[in-house]
Amino acid sequence: MPKKNGLRRTDVRIRMYRVGFGDCFLMSLPVGGSFAHILIDCGVHARGDIGTMDRVIENIAGETNGKLALVIVTHRHRDHISGFASGADVFHTFEIDEVWMPWTEQPDDRDALRLRKKHLALAGALESHFAAAPPSSPAALDAVLNASGNQKALDLLHAGFACRARVRFFQAGDRLDSVCGIQDAAACFLGPPRSAEFLSRMDPPKAEGYLRAVGGRTVEVNKVEPFAPKWVRQPSDPELKNLAFAPKEQQELREELRRSCLEELAFALDDALNNTSLVTLFTFRGLKLLFSGDAQYGNWQAWLDRPDAAELLRQVDFYKVSHHGSHNGTPRRAVEGMPQAHFVAMVPTQDKPFPSIPRRPLMAALEQRTGNRVVRSDIVDVAKAPKGPPAGKLPAHFSKGEFWVDWVSTVGAARPAKPASAAKD
Amino acid sequence: MAVHPDTGNPLYRPLRVFAFDPSWGRGIGNYLTINVPYEDLKPGPCGQHLMVVDYDGNNDRYYAPVNLDEAAVMLGNGLEPSESDPRFHQQMVYAVASETIRRFEFALGRPIRWRFRSGARDDPNRQKLRIFPHGVQAANAYYSRDLRALVLGYFSAAETDAGSNLPGQTIFTCLSHDIIVHETTHAILDSLRMHFMDLTGPDMQAFHEAFADLVALFQHFTFHQAVVDSIRRSGGMLHRPELAPAIQPQGGSGIRAEVATVNPLIGLAQQFGEALGTRKALRSAIGSRADPQELKKCTEPHLRGAILVAAVFDAFFTVFFNRIRDLLALARRAGWANGDLPADLAVRLAQDAARVASHFRNMCIRAIDYCPPVDMTFGDYLRALITADYELVPDDDRSYRPAIIDAFRARGIVPDGVRSYSEESLLWSRPGVETGAKAVRCPGLDFEPRRQQAARAKQAKRNAAALSRFGSQNAEALGLAVEVPVQAFSFHRLNRIGPDGQLKVQIVAELLQQKEELRDPKDRNSGATFHGGSTVVFDDNGTLCYAIHKALDSQTRLERWREFHRDLEDRSSLSAYGLWKPQTEIRFDLLHRGF
Repeated sequence: MPKKNGLRRTDVRIRMYRVGFGDCFLMSLPVGGSFAHILIDCGVHARGDIGTMDRVIENIAGETNGKLALVIVTHRHRDHISGFASGADVFHTFEIDEVWMPWTEQPDDRDALRLRKKHLALAGALESHFAAAPPSSPAALDAVLNASGNQKALDLLHAGFACRARVRFFQAGDRLDSVCGIQDAAACFLGPPRSAEFLSRMDPPKAEGYLRAVGGRTVEVNKVEPFAPKWVRQPSDPELKNLAFAPKEQQELREELRRSCLEELAFALDDALNNTSLVTLFTFRGLKLLFSGDAQYGNWQAWLDRPDAAELLRQVDFYKVSHHGSHNGTPRRAVEGMPQAHFVAMVPTQDKPFPSIPRRPLMAALEQRTGNRVVRSDIVDVAKAPKGPPAGKLPAHFSKGEFWVDWVSTVGAARPAKPASAAKD
Repeated sequence: MAVHPDTGNPLYRPLRVFAFDPSWGRGIGNYLTINVPYEDLKPGPCGQHLMVVDYDGNNDRYYAPVNLDEAAVMLGNGLEPSESDPRFHQQMVYAVASETIRRFEFALGRPIRWRFRSGARDDPNRQKLRIFPHGVQAANAYYSRDLRALVLGYFSAAETDAGSNLPGQTIFTCLSHDIIVHETTHAILDSLRMHFMDLTGPDMQAFHEAFADLVALFQHFTFHQAVVDSIRRSGGMLHRPELAPAIQPQGGSGIRAEVATVNPLIGLAQQFGEALGTRKALRSAIGSRADPQELKKCTEPHLRGAILVAAVFDAFFTVFFNRIRDLLALARRAGWANGDLPADLAVRLAQDAARVASHFRNMCIRAIDYCPPVDMTFGDYLRALITADYELVPDDDRSYRPAIIDAFRARGIVPDGVRSYSEESLLWSRPGVETGAKAVRCPGLDFEPRRQQAARAKQAKRNAAALSRFGSQNAEALGLAVEVPVQAFSFHRLNRIGPDGQLKVQIVAELLQQKEELRDPKDRNSGATFHGGSTVVFDDNGTLCYAIHKALDSQTRLERWREFHRDLEDRSSLSAYGLWKPQTEIRFDLLHRGF
């Protein structure tokens, strides 16, 4: 019997919204005569916003009747959570059972606390530094902006919205035999890991010389004067005979010593936050659905080394392409491990604000691997938004909406009810 | 004071330093005097091979240089340790770097000479290693080949969680004994093996780091007072990360003397680590369980290097405990239970620890001469360690080599193409032994000492020509590519005295070859230089003993090299934004910042 959303009771639908440069997915699973809905991320990058977010949230409300079994926040970047702040009024009216976040969001975890504090301080310092001294690559500033100004959304998520949903945190290796009471749904978490190597990569260094613009002047905020003035000598001082450099040499040396690494640091921070992504592999009546957030190399590497990784990858039916299709969002090993022509992929992306994203060779590799069943969100035309590459016919089981793309897969009927197994916390 | 018989100069210049770093205060022999080999010094200090320039790049200013020849300074064995006097900092970096160089020279049996190629030709200081004790404001310290310098940073400690430091206190990396030794070792290793800074595989950076850590850690065991203290308070169990408090606490620790402290011997750069808010030493030699799988998973250079450090230290502790087992058994029989060791026994064990440590350090250093000239792996280093030690100490009655082999095996360090972990198969093979071919000899080598600089240069040129010719003519036997030019680098006569008192003379040289290859076969613009070569070791009449090679035309090597560079790009946080650029050389300044 068709429902108002046109789905049959054996259909699973994944809707990818076109929000611009950002992620927003709505997964609908058939339960009895109706559907349970799972929202995975809802955000758009400040520099890649195409103005559809309000309508997207409205559409979510309509599709779900304001009822979400689960909200997953893969990580705390703006392009994955901004919608929870901008659409807070709408989300306040929702009934939500659970909110899942990566372990790095856990309020009382010592490692998580330390990382969050460091990342926030670094983002703040970099933001004001770049305001005073613009980076040579605009991407550095864009990457930093994505990490700041997210507090409102985070507060809302940590509180479990107005309905006080149960907030849970997961890390690589955790698994759930039951997802929010949805029959036949299970999940296992592949990232983020907690290993020492992972944590060391998450730990960008501090104590560099940051600049800040103060009243039209550029000052160094954390400048240290290591010694009392009495020890300071001018280059011309006779004591420095044979030691002081010629002015030109001194200038070169100074530039070399002070060569700023803050742009690299901005990308290191971006990488670190992306790698906190909660990577979830859902199982539902034989379907395996992999949502990877913005996981990059460090996050993938940890679980690709697991002995069962090859087996897990080989069974994937659906893959949400990580980090908008960037170079290191999907490692070669992962693409090569997924089943040739037996899975589909969705990429929420557009080539603004980062011309290198999505990466063409990766898109081509995915086309090849999926058997031409990879679909980008910018295939949908939205007024004034950057156009995606010319698209031919959509692959089977995909369809386009006003500002979304759907993928529908038919699954078997519900399994006969069995005694509920205890959920693992 | 002893004087030099020819010059009448003193043999040593005693200088005061911190044995660890300022955070240890006056405890555990932290105020230490080093006997630095005497040389004429100008203010700086500026000597023949080291030049301390206290230029601060962040504040663009200089600090007053120390004059170690000033009577008041000399009479006090150098300046008193002080955090607020930059001249003490200069004294300490000079003394510790000199001491590190001296230990290498002792182990290698030849002087250390920098081989810098940058800098103006007419600069009289071009062949000096410069040290900037306050070069930058950053929680960083590094060796830079381009700057011909060690750059040591200063920074404020974390505002919270600064360990035993005051929050926000200024931390000087140049006051950390470990950091100075570590960075000086990078420079020395670069002078010994210039292609060890090439990024050709996952072990290259890791080895540079591990080797520098090993030298710094073994240095700890020369600090007699600290070793006695650690031995006493650990009941001889030197590998324990914590030392028993001075007083046994009764139900919860009250006063400071009842609090256990960290074992300073096995941690590196305690103050630096704590200042970053990690609550621990920057790195620790041991404490992880041996997992043979770990090496396969671990790519971050410091973590990977830590596996090598742990393996060497496992072996060190094995030998040490074998050596002191009888003494501990006697002590137990004499009524000693656990807890503090009797003072004279602790002194005796400390001497043993120092002896074993110094032997291990020398082994680690000597092994460098038996490493392939390029593209080294941890497995190659294991073979080099075993071979170097076998050459000097054939009978190994203290079982150093089995301990090393066992420890490396436990950490999953596997040499390529070796059939078993037995000593025979790990020794580098002698050319011709298996084929029965006649021994090859390199004619025309001349290592007689020359007094004149010009004569030395001429001699070097002749030796280089003889070695290149030898390389080309015997390419196949040496593992070199046929009909590719051969260049000879860093050839030396090694003079070593074995435990039997015999002088052992060998000649070692690096023969190098190169070609252009594409890093990515699909990308015509990805060309880079690919190296191969052979480290050749001769006996004193020029007969070839070993040819330790990495073949230029090996397809396996080329594939691994490509794979490694692909992996570097995939891992870099810059590649997502299209900003990644190929890197061919280690950049210590970036490495230590954790990118």
